[in-house]
Amino acid sequence: MNLVGLALRNLKRRPVRTALSILGIGLAVGGALALIALSHSIQDSSRAASNELGDDFLVTQKGASDIFGGFIPEATIKRVAAIPGVARVSGELFMFAPSADQRSVLTLGWPDASYLWGRVPLREGRVPGPGERHVAVLGDTAAAWLGKKLDDELTLIGENFRIVGISNYTTVINRGLVLVPLIDLQEASYRMQQVTVIHVNVERGAVADEPGRVRTAIGALGNVTAATADEMLKSDRNLAILDAVSLAISIIAVAIGALSVLSALVMATQERTREIGILAAIGWSDSRIMVSIMLEGMLMCAIGCALGVLLSFLAAFAFPHIPAIGNLISFKPSVALIAPILGAAFTLCLIGSLFPAWRAVRMVPAEALRRL
Amino acid sequence: MGEAIEGGSGPDKSSDSKPLIALRGVSRSYDGGAIAALRGIDLQIEAGDCLAVVGASGSGKSSLVNLLCGIDHASAGTVLWQGKVLRTRRDWARRRRLDIGIVFQEFNLIPTLSALENVEIALFGRGLSTAQRLARAAVVIDRVGLEHRMHNRVTTLSGGERQRVAIARAIVNQPKLLLADEPTGNLDSVSAANVADLMFRLHQDSGMTVILVTHDDGLAARCRRRVRIKDGVIVEDVREATAGRPSEPSAQP
Repeated sequence: MNLVGLALRNLKRRPVRTALSILGIGLAVGGALALIALSHSIQDSSRAASNELGDDFLVTQKGASDIFGGFIPEATIKRVAAIPGVARVSGELFMFAPSADQRSVLTLGWPDASYLWGRVPLREGRVPGPGERHVAVLGDTAAAWLGKKLDDELTLIGENFRIVGISNYTTVINRGLVLVPLIDLQEASYRMQQVTVIHVNVERGAVADEPGRVRTAIGALGNVTAATADEMLKSDRNLAILDAVSLAISIIAVAIGALSVLSALVMATQERTREIGILAAIGWSDSRIMVSIMLEGMLMCAIGCALGVLLSFLAAFAFPHIPAIGNLISFKPSVALIAPILGAAFTLCLIGSLFPAWRAVRMVPAEALRRL
Repeated sequence: MGEAIEGGSGPDKSSDSKPLIALRGVSRSYDGGAIAALRGIDLQIEAGDCLAVVGASGSGKSSLVNLLCGIDHASAGTVLWQGKVLRTRRDWARRRRLDIGIVFQEFNLIPTLSALENVEIALFGRGLSTAQRLARAAVVIDRVGLEHRMHNRVTTLSGGERQRVAIARAIVNQPKLLLADEPTGNLDSVSAANVADLMFRLHQDSGMTVILVTHDDGLAARCRRRVRIKDGVIVEDVREATAGRPSEPSAQP
């Protein structure tokens, strides 16, 4: 037998309490992982969706707090297109549009002539023709979620759209999109002559630093700013708040998990005061007694963390099958995400184990031996 | 049975000039001095002694034992181990690990462990592997006659067997001093006699110093030296010249 074996033996003595403590840590770690992973995955999914559309830059209103919060006059599209080095531009209006059954669907409006229509990977049907109104192309998961198929009618913001195509994008966000003509979305949302972003593609090969030069030229137009999708997401106020809230809730969750370890160990050491006195009486040093108690806490923590990681992977598997979640974000726990949360959990559990261990060795052995 | 175990510090008569353990003006009081368990005790115990501490309940016998092994601290005075004052908990823990074995009236075994494991845990901190610890513990379990019960959980053992496990745990490190606080107090007469015989045989075979706290005058009479405590003060300290008495077996009822 060694110290780990002794700690395991002690944990098995109170199986229900040990199991509940482990479950507490597991849920805390799993919850923290899920929260932070979800928060990160919103950014990751948005970045992947933007990359799938093949943009160099996205132009947004200068000072807009988030990607939904700014609006640009449609006329700016022509001014950006006129900048030397710009290969293609397309305006885009987007919003969460309510359907007839009050489901919010991420809806994008593109101009008739947008190059983006030509890039839509179609599973079936077609994209809207020039001048065609009140038609829509649905992402495959959006179609499934809304229960729509080709030629069905879809009501968005009180307007009816005939479904003419089903797209076959690969990223989570794009698979959940509804694409409609820009003019229809502008009318329905009272945003005439306005777009949310302008997609920009830069010519390649002519000048080494063409993207940088184009970006500076866009900035010089005034009241707009050009940024890569990554930069835009990083400066998004809503995502920053989401990150901060997720982190705060995760810390609280893990701290509560560690508190359950502390509580279990305080009870365990109180019940075993006499045994701790015995160990002291046979010559165990204070540090060895402390280590043996802390090992119990760390074992609970390790098992709880393993359970938490397992739960997070189960969530990663389950969430894509829940339309309200899976249509918008992909949940992928990664080592880079798991490591700091486990680090925090172990640190907090270590602190939580330290107190009862210190408390146990503070007592005079003869006094401990008198306890029942 | 009776084979010497390798390692451990073992009985030590090299420090003949200094007593193995000595108390100098030791007092112990509780409740802020309201209860005086020991008052100004001076006691010197030589290596190889067999000493019985006798007295009525509440006379201060157990308080004395607790101070002799450092599981309690004196309110006044000093306790010297081979002439040195042990000041810290760490110093005392080390002494108990290496040189002092304790046997309690209440056995004080860990209930979740087997007899063998209860003995093995006393070898932690000796730089031995698990296999070495178990082997050494098994030898001592065999020595106290419990080889057939070594893998049984101690809660399944009889009182006499538990006390044998406690003795095995106390001697597994080959201590210089074996302290036994009412070791037969919770046993039936047959078990009590067996346990007493075992302890005196250990003293006889290995020469380790034994301090036996008891209220049983018959048991105390088997020790060469008897110290009587009353109201926290030593009222009698008798040393008999007769050698060999401890090895005389008890009369079995």
